[in-house]
Amino acid sequence: MAAKDSPLKQFEIVPYSNTEVGSYDISFTNSSLSMVITVAVITLFLTLTVNPRSIIPSRMQLISELMYNFIAQLLSDTVGNNGKKYFPFVFSLFMFVLIGNMVGMVPYQFTFTSHIIVTFALAAVVFIGVTILGFVNHGIKFFTFFYIPGVPFYMHPLLIPIEVISYLSRPISLSVRLFANMLAGHTLLKVFAGFVVAMPFFTGALPLAFIVALTGLEILIAFLQAYVFAILTCLYINDAYHLH
Amino acid sequence: MPQLNPEFFVSQLFWLVVTFSFLFVFLWRVSLPRIGNVLEKRERKITEDLTAAKELQAEASQIQEEIENQLKQARTDASEMIKSSSIALQDKAQTELKKLDKELETKIDESAKAIEKSKSESVSQIQKQIHEITKLTLSKVATFNVSDDEIKKAVSNSERSIN
Repeated sequence: MAAKDSPLKQFEIVPYSNTEVGSYDISFTNSSLSMVITVAVITLFLTLTVNPRSIIPSRMQLISELMYNFIAQLLSDTVGNNGKKYFPFVFSLFMFVLIGNMVGMVPYQFTFTSHIIVTFALAAVVFIGVTILGFVNHGIKFFTFFYIPGVPFYMHPLLIPIEVISYLSRPISLSVRLFANMLAGHTLLKVFAGFVVAMPFFTGALPLAFIVALTGLEILIAFLQAYVFAILTCLYINDAYHLH
Repeated sequence: MPQLNPEFFVSQLFWLVVTFSFLFVFLWRVSLPRIGNVLEKRERKITEDLTAAKELQAEASQIQEEIENQLKQARTDASEMIKSSSIALQDKAQTELKKLDKELETKIDESAKAIEKSKSESVSQIQKQIHEITKLTLSKVATFNVSDDEIKKAVSNSERSIN
């Protein structure tokens, strides 16, 4: 298959400007445009739908309120009362990933969550923030996080490295989960779209029907991955408060 | 795979930081407080309305109780009034009846007396007439004179036999 028709072509970054600061290229690209659209959609929706004077919400306001309550509930369920401080961050993270995924579902729109560098940066912010939080809350005792109580002493030389590795792999698993889901889903859609064109006569309707079904699945995954990202962030924050 | 091409890593990170920071600050400072205020306001309004409703309900039940008490009072009052007035009426009726009885008795007495009187009067009238008729008849029939006393005796004798 020619590179032009590759299912991975949709992930290529196209610069719209050629901006360089020092030796760094910070060109405005299709990825950046997607991020800007995402942020614009979120901020405009959450601001315009909410009427601060209304006691009875409109349908659109109800959506904003549902989002708010959904994340607030998630945080209070996993972290408890300590979680209120992190609500704006977790909410922003959830909305950014969710709407980023949804914007990516619009045809011809770029999906920035399908780029490992973006998801890894988000996961790294969570990881570093949570680690700092752990040290602030527990000081040097934070290292007892890797020590599992109630295990025979001769197991510790094995278990402590495993715990350390699992802790360090958190940002990788967090970022790769989102990246891989988006990559796989969008690639699959493109592959089936290629079949629609390639198959003779009207047999192309079959993969087309499959694409319709897959699009529904992808929208579900878009929501699910944003939810997973948010809930794991909540769990990591909880770990920084309660070591075990 | 375009994802592993580091050519645009810096650009993507830069724009990610810019957009996400803007989103975070905007939501933190503007959107979320607005939604939070709306929810809080609604919650407050609901609890206020609920407490007000509870107060009103308590007031209503109190008023109903009062009304029921008043009704009960009114009923007992009415039955008492009916009882007392019926007793008074009965008393009055009895006295009236007694008075009427007395009046009637006196009237009956009077009438009886009047009847007696008129009866005796008419009896004496009849006797007188019988006497005169007898006298007249005798004077026409007989050639001898009969004294008044003898006629009277004869008449009273025949009267007795009639009676």
